[in-house]
Amino acid sequence: MHWSELAIELTLMPLVAFVVGLAMVLMMRKIAARLQRRVGPPLLQPLYDIVKLYGKRTQTSHGMLHEIGIVMAVGGYVAAETLLPVPGMNGIAEKGGMITLLYLTMIPSLGLALGVGQCANPNGSIGISRALTAMLAYDIPLVIVIAGVAIHFGTTNLVDVIAQQQAGGIATWGAVQMPLLAIAGLFALQGMLGKQPFEIYVAPAEIATGPMVEMGGKFLGGLFVMQCFQLYTASVLYVTLFLGGGENWIAFLAKAFAVLVIPMSIAFLFPRYRTEDMITMLWKWPVVLGLIGLAFVGS
Amino acid sequence: MTGSLDFLLLLSVVGVPLAALLAPSVVGRWLLVLLYVVQLVELALLGSGDGARSAVSFSLLGHSVGWQLDALGWFFAMITVAAAGFSAAYAAGEWGTLNARAGLSLRWLYVGLQVNVFAMLVLLAAGDMVALFIGWELTSWAGLLLMLLAGGEAIAAARRYIVYAIAGGMMVLGGLLMTLAAAGSLQFDAVAAAIPTVGTSALWAITLLFVLGFSVKMATMPFHLWQAPAYAFSPAPASAFLGAISARMGLFAIALVAIKLIGIVQLDRLYLYFDALNLRNLLAWVAVFTAILPTFVAMKQNDARLLLGWHGVGQGGYMLLGLVMADSLGSAGGLLHVFNHATYQAILLMAVFAVIHRTGTADLNRLGGLVARMPLSFLAMLIGIIGLAGLPPMNGFVSKWMIYRALILEGQPLLFVATVISTLGTVLSVYKLLHNTFLGQLRLEHETVKEAPWSMTIPMLVLCVVVFVTGVAPGLVLEYVAAAQQALGLAPVAFILGGIDSPAGTLDMIWVTAILLAGFGIGAVLFYLMGGRSRRVHQLDNYAGGHFLTADVRYQYSDNFYAGLMHRIRPWYRGSFAWAEEALVSTFGAIATAARGFFEQANPAHWVLVGTTLITTWVMWHALV
Amino acid sequence: MTDTEQFPVRVEQPDRNGGNIFSRVFDELTAFCRSRSLFILHYCTGCGAIELPPAMTSRFDMERLGISPMVSPRQADILLITGYVSVKTLKRVMLTYEQMGSPKYVIGICSCTVNGGMYWQSYATAKKLNDYMPVDLYIAGCMPRPEAVITGLRQLMDKIAAGEANGWEDYYRRYDYYLGHQQRLFGETWQTPTDVIAEARHYGLFGPETLGDHTRLLEQHQAPLEALEMQLGLGAPDEVKA
Repeated sequence: MHWSELAIELTLMPLVAFVVGLAMVLMMRKIAARLQRRVGPPLLQPLYDIVKLYGKRTQTSHGMLHEIGIVMAVGGYVAAETLLPVPGMNGIAEKGGMITLLYLTMIPSLGLALGVGQCANPNGSIGISRALTAMLAYDIPLVIVIAGVAIHFGTTNLVDVIAQQQAGGIATWGAVQMPLLAIAGLFALQGMLGKQPFEIYVAPAEIATGPMVEMGGKFLGGLFVMQCFQLYTASVLYVTLFLGGGENWIAFLAKAFAVLVIPMSIAFLFPRYRTEDMITMLWKWPVVLGLIGLAFVGS
Repeated sequence: MTGSLDFLLLLSVVGVPLAALLAPSVVGRWLLVLLYVVQLVELALLGSGDGARSAVSFSLLGHSVGWQLDALGWFFAMITVAAAGFSAAYAAGEWGTLNARAGLSLRWLYVGLQVNVFAMLVLLAAGDMVALFIGWELTSWAGLLLMLLAGGEAIAAARRYIVYAIAGGMMVLGGLLMTLAAAGSLQFDAVAAAIPTVGTSALWAITLLFVLGFSVKMATMPFHLWQAPAYAFSPAPASAFLGAISARMGLFAIALVAIKLIGIVQLDRLYLYFDALNLRNLLAWVAVFTAILPTFVAMKQNDARLLLGWHGVGQGGYMLLGLVMADSLGSAGGLLHVFNHATYQAILLMAVFAVIHRTGTADLNRLGGLVARMPLSFLAMLIGIIGLAGLPPMNGFVSKWMIYRALILEGQPLLFVATVISTLGTVLSVYKLLHNTFLGQLRLEHETVKEAPWSMTIPMLVLCVVVFVTGVAPGLVLEYVAAAQQALGLAPVAFILGGIDSPAGTLDMIWVTAILLAGFGIGAVLFYLMGGRSRRVHQLDNYAGGHFLTADVRYQYSDNFYAGLMHRIRPWYRGSFAWAEEALVSTFGAIATAARGFFEQANPAHWVLVGTTLITTWVMWHALV
Repeated sequence: MTDTEQFPVRVEQPDRNGGNIFSRVFDELTAFCRSRSLFILHYCTGCGAIELPPAMTSRFDMERLGISPMVSPRQADILLITGYVSVKTLKRVMLTYEQMGSPKYVIGICSCTVNGGMYWQSYATAKKLNDYMPVDLYIAGCMPRPEAVITGLRQLMDKIAAGEANGWEDYYRRYDYYLGHQQRLFGETWQTPTDVIAEARHYGLFGPETLGDHTRLLEQHQAPLEALEMQLGLGAPDEVKA
């Protein structure tokens, strides 16, 4: 591939992710509103929020790490998007693969954790401790799913995974071949997105939104941007592993949005689990489903 | 110009009296650091080949004993000498001066360090099994020198260690004798040739004795109890050195005996339960549990040194796991992890001891917010924990990635999942370490703390550069790992400068790092160039639900950091291994009491009775059989 | 209470027509986004809070105007005081207000925030909220219905879009005035953890009345509020040199 082509891809992939992510945030808020019989925010609301937060005149920082944390949180996702193939663009997906992607998406979380730590607010620290616990909880079904998919397709290269599914049609999609793993993956997705019932680390009424407690202005704006990337990454990863990736942009976006409808619809119908119950929940059903699914993959 | 093994060993021996002579003065200590540099250069000149044979050899009971450094030993030896050099430099300046004033014997410290290096070189360069045993015993006892230095808690830990070490040594000796009986020789070639002809039960015994004996030093389960306290409570440089490399001598010996001499094919031959569970799988699972359990024990520690000590135990599990996978990728990952772990573990221990040096405590509930006062130590610890947690772009990620890939390729999804559980546990645990030490609220009494001196920060920062560079370009180290694999008789890994190039999944860290840094760049542009200016505020200008914060009331979350998680998993491990160890101790205690009771009760008449009974039994036995 | 000392209200308007066309368009855009995205922090001091849930939920749905509730002062744009403010509460309100990032707006809901309402005779209630902080909008009533709350919020949105809701700048420019009232109520040793003067200096929001007699009084007893900057300090400590 010519270097200029690659450069264009590397620029476009995070941009697309951000724009699609904005739409996903809007969809999430709209779904919440509709489930609560409200109208919900206008079309450009996610953008208004971000512009307003960046445009705050006074911005409160708790030190250099607080700032670097936000830089890492946004920057880590910008980097991670280039490992996630989209129709017509592979970026550097072939240089990493799904394990690298999995670990690269931990970098933004680590950055956020550093920034929150510097804020010297125990609400934030409690939030991070719960968020990391949640990560431990949902990552176990997630790695079971990833292991199953990698063994099923015989590769950890996401480009190959997509190519195999598209070559064989719907019958070879991950979701058809490995339905149990696909269901376990949905549980992991719910946890990854940090939505109810796995939302204990935000818990606004108890620990004042946990990690976000001291985030104002562009610090919070950075986190809003990160949320766009987060929604996009989780849903596209699911589409890639189970729904054959995107044949073209329309199919790709349709799938990506459709996948997100599931966790979002569930989220706003439930209250939240306590940390220990969240662990029990995520280590029980999705893990059992995943292990059974894994046994089928192995045989 | 090529080096010679004899010269290296000679340097190492001469280093011991030199250390005793030079250690008390600052200049002397820097000269000793220079001595490590010379040893390292000598090693580098030797090269990672099979050529270096020592002229020293002797005959013991008809067995010739000699030393030869192959690529595997060279790989470990380089790490050993370098770790000793960095530790020596760390203690050379202010640390040594202040601690000597506080009553620490620097003579013993530096002598102990040098004796350890010598003992390890003797082990690593073993040319036959007798030499291996000699090296093993030397290493075991040398470790004790460093552990005993600090006194206090360290003494109890060292006592525990030596009991384990003697038990391990006995097992190795037993294995040695059985090998002699089975193979008729203790030369590596002869043993390797004879092993395939050995019967299954004898092979079981030999393998188990060796592996268990060496596992004691590795602190694989169930021998994992001694290591963390023994390493953690040593003086700073000793702790960094021991934590970085000492336990890996066990891995070296296991690799040498189980992989090179006995061979993976033979391990597969040893079934525990038909062909469902063979010894190799068993070892893999032991390794995985060693990776998981100590990690979660580490998570609940409140002493930073113990936390790192337990992680040292846990990371050993990864290395063993990679090694017993024995394919080109997995074993390379395991060996690479030895190097990676040595680098970041040394950084982490050095950073923790720098904090102790300045604040006097490693209690994670009595620190916090030190990033404002010790930014370089913070940076070092940050890079160290990214390495330990195995996140890109530091080197720990590469070796773990190789192990994950190997597990998936070998069709071991359960092992893979278990390994990732351990990694996630590590992420949680290291964040607690970093948060409770450097983040959060700065305590009033630490407002005037200063950064550690250059003599301590430079070794850390140089190691940070190593961790980063070998993370971005793992090919630099993989070259020697591949040579070590060949020395073990395994297929060498196919590597490129940036990582691994294989058809089933590529890793190019140069690209990953470049894209990550570019991402950070974009993030920085978005943050610093867009939006309003930020203004830094005092740490007490903080949300507290409308409460007015004051410096005398702590506003920090540190104790029982993962309360929810611990609430769930604490009942799962109630220190059952510690309980088993205590049970063993009390059993021996009971037997000893009974024996003493018998002895105290005894009068000559009893002895006559016992003697005659025994003799009669013996005679009758022989008469009848 | 305050009618004996009538302060002339001098809100200085920064030059809003300066700069080139791009920066003006940009400012317009930002002002529009500000008006369409308002995070409220409701300081539920009195009975008025009960009218907010209906304003937020399905019947009136504030979110369609881009208004959503937030939790901590750092995240919020609007401070909603929903009832009588006792002296003890007012301290917390001040702390919270100063911790919010500017531009920030204060809305006083219910009659009690306007003039003390039915607590006029109470010794413990602060009567006029705008003596202590600049209030952008009062929504009177006991209590105002959600319709009134929404109408008030829409008025605020219009003011923000027009660049007229600048009460927050007034707080920096006339800090001495507000601080004087606070000191009168809370005593001379009154201090919040936020260094308003340093903030005004940092952001160029200094006005002729930022400093004065009351800030001088504050400086006499103020505990240091400088941020903890990173210090390298690599020199050996004194005990080594000795």
